[in-house]
Amino acid sequence: MHRIAVRINGKAYGHEVEPRLLLVHYIREKARLTGTHVGCDTGNCGACTTLLNGQPVKSCLMLAVQANGAELTTIEGLAGNGLHQIQEAFLDKFAVQCGYCTPGMILSAYALLKANPKPEEGEIREAIEGNLCMCTGYQQIVDAIGHAARTMRMSGSR
Amino acid sequence: MLNLDELFVTRKWVGKPVRRDQDIRFIRGEATYVDDLEMECGHVAFLRSIYAHARIKRIDTSKAAALSGVLAVVTGEDVARETRPIVPRAITRPATQYVMAVEKVRYVGEPLVAVVAEDRYLAEDALELIDVEYEPLRPLVEIEDALREDAPLIFEEAGSNELLHEKLEHGNIEAAYREADLFVKERFRLHRYSSTPLENWAIIAKHEKGDDAFVVWANDQQPGRSTTNVCNMLGIPNSGLRLIVPDSGGGFGIKLAIWPYIVILCLLARRTDRAVKWVQTRREHLLAGTHAPDARVEIELALRRDGRILGLSIKDIQNDGSFIHTAGIYGLIKFATMVGCYDIGATRAELVSVVTNKGPTVQNRGVGKPTMIFVLERMVDIAARRVGLDPAEMRFRNFVQPGQMPYSTPSGEIYESGNYPECLRKALSLSGYEEFRKRKEEMREQGRYLGIGMSASIEPGTSNLGYYYTHRGLPEYMGNAEGAIVGVDYDGNVNVLLGSVDEGQGHATTTAQVVADMLGIDPGRVSMSTHLDSLISPFLGHSGCYSNKFNDVDLGAVIMATKKVRDKMLRIASHALGVEAGELTFRNGEICWAKDERRSIAFKEIATVAYKKILLLPEGMEPGLKEIAYYKNPAAKPPSKANFNVQLTHSNSVHMATVEVDVDTGAVTIVKYVIVHDCGTQINPGIVEGMAIGSTVHGIGAVLYEEFVYDENGQLLSTSFMDYLKPLAVGLPRFEVAHVESPCPTTLLGTKAVGEGGAIGSLAALANAVEDALAPFGVKVTSLPITPEKVVRAVRETGEI
Ligand code: FES
Ligand code: FES
Repeated sequence: MHRIAVRINGKAYGHEVEPRLLLVHYIREKARLTGTHVGCDTGNCGACTTLLNGQPVKSCLMLAVQANGAELTTIEGLAGNGLHQIQEAFLDKFAVQCGYCTPGMILSAYALLKANPKPEEGEIREAIEGNLCMCTGYQQIVDAIGHAARTMRMSGSR
Repeated sequence: MLNLDELFVTRKWVGKPVRRDQDIRFIRGEATYVDDLEMECGHVAFLRSIYAHARIKRIDTSKAAALSGVLAVVTGEDVARETRPIVPRAITRPATQYVMAVEKVRYVGEPLVAVVAEDRYLAEDALELIDVEYEPLRPLVEIEDALREDAPLIFEEAGSNELLHEKLEHGNIEAAYREADLFVKERFRLHRYSSTPLENWAIIAKHEKGDDAFVVWANDQQPGRSTTNVCNMLGIPNSGLRLIVPDSGGGFGIKLAIWPYIVILCLLARRTDRAVKWVQTRREHLLAGTHAPDARVEIELALRRDGRILGLSIKDIQNDGSFIHTAGIYGLIKFATMVGCYDIGATRAELVSVVTNKGPTVQNRGVGKPTMIFVLERMVDIAARRVGLDPAEMRFRNFVQPGQMPYSTPSGEIYESGNYPECLRKALSLSGYEEFRKRKEEMREQGRYLGIGMSASIEPGTSNLGYYYTHRGLPEYMGNAEGAIVGVDYDGNVNVLLGSVDEGQGHATTTAQVVADMLGIDPGRVSMSTHLDSLISPFLGHSGCYSNKFNDVDLGAVIMATKKVRDKMLRIASHALGVEAGELTFRNGEICWAKDERRSIAFKEIATVAYKKILLLPEGMEPGLKEIAYYKNPAAKPPSKANFNVQLTHSNSVHMATVEVDVDTGAVTIVKYVIVHDCGTQINPGIVEGMAIGSTVHGIGAVLYEEFVYDENGQLLSTSFMDYLKPLAVGLPRFEVAHVESPCPTTLLGTKAVGEGGAIGSLAALANAVEDALAPFGVKVTSLPITPEKVVRAVRETGEI
């Protein structure tokens, strides 16, 4: 067992964990933040995407112990009580069907728009290339991210 | 169809892209999927067969059972002692199968042993300690292997590896053949693929010791059937199972086959006296979580010289793998769309279901209709070339015309509505068909190969359950229906409960739009729990989310229940206001006197009378303001081999794909994609568009990327998303979606199927486009998927994909 300490969505967590525990299982089962999902076992689907020190990572490809000391953001921490503009855009553009890919998609979009506030459609598609959506065929997701970029630029937010 | 002006008191919401605010939990990460439920559980892992076909000689579980933290180890033999075998739906030969392997394994991945442990990691550790001795048998992987004279029998008691072999003729096929001037015939090979919902299967089962009852949480798509199956197999009364379906991360048919695992989990819960949880891994899902069967199809069209199709014969052999419950269904359901969009007077079908040592099959998005439309629409292109017609003209000549509606196909399927020529005209114009043909020639000069392909397809909805028994007496299900409860709460807001579940289609918002217009309120005042609880939800054997039935019977039940509530509210208001009910109208959450709107009563006050001040109710009226209704589609015919309708509504679409093929690398790029869709009345165009595109991408995946590849020993080689490739955001075109609206006369709102169409029509559209692009090389497309390797080989050597 190893002791780890992380901050998730600004809150401190500390646990004794087995060295083999995956970070995604830590987030879901120890921190009880179930907005981070599991859709595969090989790092291909992106349902488990979280931000680790601001960068999107697939939390099923990391061990919890590797995140010791890190700052994590999950979907629950994106906007506090309200909705982030990306979340609003996902609703406006019908970018959600079953919702299983949605948290990962939104976090990938968030990372993209931080780095590139004015992405082209192709850049949006590339940014979510690691996130599978089985429901939407992606078009409305791509549109939502483009729409979010516009509203965020207009309101000067990031 | 009802008169919508009479049904609705406002026309503000139905038909508008209303945001899915009812489902805000999904974007906040606050949804509740089964795996999210907070519960102390034992965790389940399965040891699965490593052989495709083998006798089980010995299983030694003693070391696993002794591992600290292991709560139970259960083998297939143990399960068979406590359960009844699976009841097949369509096959005609006897075959006995339990929910876990007994005596024999029949596919790689078949569950052999279940372990329950304190956590999943430990349960997986325990699997490593189990010793299985197998006696390998000859694996039968492809249809041809299973049908060979000397092939061993997969189910000995069946006496054959063909579990269903049916010949059906409708219309005068002999006459059609006599009258025909020419015949075109082709053989096609379809591969195995699946829609792979992003959330895998998940189940929690709890045993209530006192009365030997179970509470189960599962992402089950058809709880009506699952509860029946699970209770029968466990030999418990219906009251012994409460099934709860929380949020579900996509279904596409694949989650219709989860109930065998519910049976196992119940046994494990009873054995350990703990809540037990199993979350399928993606590898398990791909290996043993059900596919669409692969198939060999021979099809022949009997034609007149002018291109009119007079008759159609099909021989359809499905590789149904090793799950006898659904084996045979894919063959039979094809009758829903056997003649596609065309007026073809006679059909002959020979349907064969073959068991092999591939994994189980279940109703994947479109169920058999993707195959049927693929072969038919390929044939129409091939026939067009033979008679020297443009493929569009060939279709125009054969379409069922709008004036022929309702049109009965030879087997009795009734197309109640649709305007097929209009859809094609629109698609031709949106895709720039004529200009493209010129551009194609120019590009060819530069050594670039572009092609355009089309398909016209029927997208049937609402299964007339029971069609699959047309050959063996009366089925246990017939028709289709759903139940709903609609209530007005104390606060005057509306609450809906449905017998169905939601796999991501946004039922809550769609329902809210309909109810809002029926009661003259904002959809924000209508809430609907999409979580099903068999103890409290209205419930039928048909209940569930499948075959595009929501827009029809589910909303039908909601509408009928809302009408009952509305009538009762009017009577209470009439009594309270002292005004004839006929003179009352609904306005912004109030009922008021049409002649003087100041005389009004708010929903909240009406509810207060109904629930609390019940002495103010009209004489003899029951308290409460909650109504239940069940609604069945009126078009269902009872099963009969001579005349039956497999499905009850018929949407249609035309897909037009433009592709470029790189003949050196074999890469196919979709340059443009047009979908013209007719699903009758649209309730929420935003949702409809998402499903039209999403289902199309399923088909594109099936054509270009996805395939379950087995080696000759029956080992599945595509067990992760590294080998089983799904479409990504990159590499897809922007889809252009347009609509034609032919309201359906047999549903209350004129709505028709929405969720499956793209998965049906896209296969042939893309294949036809690729064939068009490769016309200079004379390449024929007779199989799927169209992989780069196959393209290159076809161009250089074989001439056939
Ligand atoms: S669960 Fe992490 S990528 Fe699929
Ligand atoms: S919305 Fe279902 S996986 Fe994306």
